[in-house]
Amino acid sequence: MKLFNLGELNWRQSQLIYHALAYKNIESLVFHSSKDSFMCVGLHQDPRDELDIDYCKKNSIGIFRREIGGGTVLLDKDQIFYNLILNRNHPKVPFVPESFFRRFLQPVIDTFNELGIPAKYRSLCDLVVNGKKISGNGGGEIGECKVLGGSILLDFDYERMANSMLLPADIRSRFVDLMKSNLTTVEKELGFIPKKEKICSILSNKFEELIGPLTNGSVDLEINKKMAELDKHYSSDSWLYQRGTKQIGKEVKVCEGVYIFYNVFDTKNGSLEVTFEIKDNIVKKITFSDSKIMSNITSKKFQENFANKIYDRNKLYNEIIEFLKNNGVISAT
Amino acid sequence: MVLLVQLEIKGMKFPLDRKYYTKDGAHIWLKQERNLVKIGMDAFAAEMSKPLTAFIVNKGLVNSGEEIGSFESTKYIGKFHSPISGEIISVNEHVLINPQNINENPYKSWIAKIKPDKNQKTNKYIIEGKDKILNWINKEIKKFY
Repeated sequence: MKLFNLGELNWRQSQLIYHALAYKNIESLVFHSSKDSFMCVGLHQDPRDELDIDYCKKNSIGIFRREIGGGTVLLDKDQIFYNLILNRNHPKVPFVPESFFRRFLQPVIDTFNELGIPAKYRSLCDLVVNGKKISGNGGGEIGECKVLGGSILLDFDYERMANSMLLPADIRSRFVDLMKSNLTTVEKELGFIPKKEKICSILSNKFEELIGPLTNGSVDLEINKKMAELDKHYSSDSWLYQRGTKQIGKEVKVCEGVYIFYNVFDTKNGSLEVTFEIKDNIVKKITFSDSKIMSNITSKKFQENFANKIYDRNKLYNEIIEFLKNNGVISAT
Repeated sequence: MVLLVQLEIKGMKFPLDRKYYTKDGAHIWLKQERNLVKIGMDAFAAEMSKPLTAFIVNKGLVNSGEEIGSFESTKYIGKFHSPISGEIISVNEHVLINPQNINENPYKSWIAKIKPDKNQKTNKYIIEGKDKILNWINKEIKKFY
């Protein structure tokens, strides 16, 4: 199997490379970084719902919609990206997504451990250190292949990430606070950042133990041609701004189990924004944009009803509607 | 004599009143309904892809085996293919907004309705009948359990 250890690429190339390899059905492992910052959304997301596009444009932050799963992420030079590309009939590829992540993230965990960082797997596909995320991952089928994509956070610009997202100001500052308390980096864990070459060398050794010997590959004309072809497609508005999944309410994900969920309801007394902070998939904090819309008694009842509930987005939304109707806050019709 | 209406294998049900598309682990059921064919995920795919968090299917003309949409489970994207050639004339919006319905009840959660082309070619990947389905599912289970 081929190893493409590509160093720093421009931001578009850093995404095009693994899509092209998958469409060319070239089983491979790829390491790279992006010279520039960009926001990358998952296949089922629409950048218009996720990103402050004007802010991104003004600050030269690119936007890419990838073909693999997961949510919105800021990617930049302070991360090492890895992609594992295997044919879907490869004997080591499990059918169940969670097994896929668990198996192919083990070399990344082993790499962290060798660096002296006690990272662990946290379902569904985060790697965490003392409960804080240090690596985010996604996967999916591209052409004939199954692809893992992830990054090692060497350092992270929390403010840049939050500013690039389409969020109300109050939610944005809470998002930054939650990221700071739930995300960590190699720099924070070790007090320094080892050379990227050293980290990639450990990564390739650990992956070899799982998937067998790797030989160095180079990006040839055929791969370049495929990248150019895909670049046209991925930069078109019809791809980038394709309709995303219809969602109820707005969910901002910090890491597995940690979210902000909010929604504006048209009540009899005006608009009411209700915000939930969720940790370990449990509702921990509920706030209202306007304390006068509901009576103190109803607000207290709301808190009692929803605090400490297990978070299930659609269920929660329907229960809020039900509560607001039953308590005369919104019309029953 | 009791008429067998479905197979039950490892807790997963496979009704015998429909066909199954089996190419590359697709696990899609097909059921004729007047002049249309309803399609959806079978119990095996519904179980393996728990919990589905997103599902998108596009309407329009399709060829057999062509990708018509995608789904997401645990940050993993799978592709959804059409088992037959024809025109997708309707998608189940309710299910696409609440894809976990597929996990919970795969045979009531149809995903798309296709008006099939009149001249369908024989497709070896579409199977029906107790013995063929049993043989196929047992092979799939050996692969993945």
